[in-house]
Amino acid sequence: MKNINYFLIFTLFATLLTSCVGDDIVEDRVDEELRITNAIDTIGMNSTYQFETLYLDNVGVRQEANIEWSSSDNTLVSINNNGLAEGLGNGSVTLTAEYQGLDTYLLQSIEVVVGESTTEVENEESIKEGVIITTSSYVLEGSFELQELDGNLIIQIADNYKASTALPGLFVYLSNNANSIGGAHEIAAVSTFNGAHTYTIPNVGIDDYKFLLYFCKPFNIKVGDGSY
Amino acid sequence: MKNILIYTIAILLISTSVFAGGPWPQSKGVGYFKLSECWTNFDQHFTDEGSIDPNNTTGIYNTAFYGEYGLTNRFTLIANANIFSRNVVNNQVSGTNGSVIVAGDAYNGLGDIDLSIKYGLTGVGSKYPIAITATFGLPTGATNKGDFGNLATGDGEFNQILQIDAGTGFKLGKHNAYASAYGGFNNRTNGFSNELRFGAEIGVGLLNSKLWLATKFNVVESRKNGETAETITNTSIFANNTEFASFSIEVNYYFSKRVGMSANFAGAFRGEIIAAAPSYSVGVFYDMSK
Repeated sequence: MKNINYFLIFTLFATLLTSCVGDDIVEDRVDEELRITNAIDTIGMNSTYQFETLYLDNVGVRQEANIEWSSSDNTLVSINNNGLAEGLGNGSVTLTAEYQGLDTYLLQSIEVVVGESTTEVENEESIKEGVIITTSSYVLEGSFELQELDGNLIIQIADNYKASTALPGLFVYLSNNANSIGGAHEIAAVSTFNGAHTYTIPNVGIDDYKFLLYFCKPFNIKVGDGSY
Repeated sequence: MKNILIYTIAILLISTSVFAGGPWPQSKGVGYFKLSECWTNFDQHFTDEGSIDPNNTTGIYNTAFYGEYGLTNRFTLIANANIFSRNVVNNQVSGTNGSVIVAGDAYNGLGDIDLSIKYGLTGVGSKYPIAITATFGLPTGATNKGDFGNLATGDGEFNQILQIDAGTGFKLGKHNAYASAYGGFNNRTNGFSNELRFGAEIGVGLLNSKLWLATKFNVVESRKNGETAETITNTSIFANNTEFASFSIEVNYYFSKRVGMSANFAGAFRGEIIAAAPSYSVGVFYDMSK
């Protein structure tokens, strides 16, 4: 009987030791990034324009950062360190945003022309596209397009889309890190598993994120992603 | 998925070996009782394609009571109850800056309880005994617990299993031995798919039958006639169609005439939507048949 008592005590002790909430380490390092999120082609003469930037840390999470702005010719376009620019004379300039971190130096530049009125960038970047690829053994595939419309980000999933119905709690996110939903924007629970459908996301810009992520939310299983 | 994982692992750990379960009903007034600790901890699972994918590390720990009691020489009442169940999910922590990406969680509570009645179709002392068993799986455990609804101590459904067992005892050299096989059908509710089950077991007694070694082979095949994530919209963690083929090894040792200890190791070598990790069980039993 004594042996049984020892046996039970050992078993209970071993079980308690292993039944605590532990840590799973996620390899989530990415390159830090600085983006200008509302670029323009032309700034109006004697008008002002507020540039905005986005700084992402080494796990792809948006952080506040001190950005220094400069103009290649302050007589044509002036800009202060808050990113407020003013068109002063005819010509074109290079505007530069710089971030100096402890170990990182980041720089982004855009070409701006001074003209009659301010116009946003009109090129292929106003519509982005990507392909959803499974990163697991679950079926997930399809192509998609993103477009900003009336202040909303519209994600149109094409009719070649297909997703496994076997996983519970499949959610779709926008993220700046392909391996993590840390700092990601949760779009919705997936309710369409085959064919075309659309997500409308308010108050998100087309340059705010760069990955579409599919995660089984309850069990933190990454199912697939698509970069754009 | 978690519900099904718990449910399936519980199946793997059910003691039907040696002197309990199988086609041998208990004699009238005789019982077999066992208290055990069963656990598994897994960070990968079988997908719906049968491949192995990683997942958040999850632990399931059950303190279980298993008892058989002979109401008559042919009818045996069986209870298999997870009297305490703990379900644990790890934190997701950034390997870059150490921040918690998704907080882990744990839930403790009563697990599911299975009640069965076994009837021996053949009489006491038959060389080839056959028995049928009806099991009622009571959903006494909790489901959808935790911030993400991903913790559970039961499967959340009332199921009914009809099973037939057949077996025989024989001599293996100078040692006592036995072999048995079973087949059954599990009718499940709440949108879960029904299941076919079958398996076989062989055991041998050593050291004058004080030490028993047994190995079991179990298969669960889903009928895949239940709901999927596409057809269920009211819950985020519903999954279905779990299947597996597993084997287990069990050791039982009698310290005294009636009291002994058991240890069990079980693992699935094929599966769909189930943990891809071994489960373990240790316990003490009291065997009135001795």
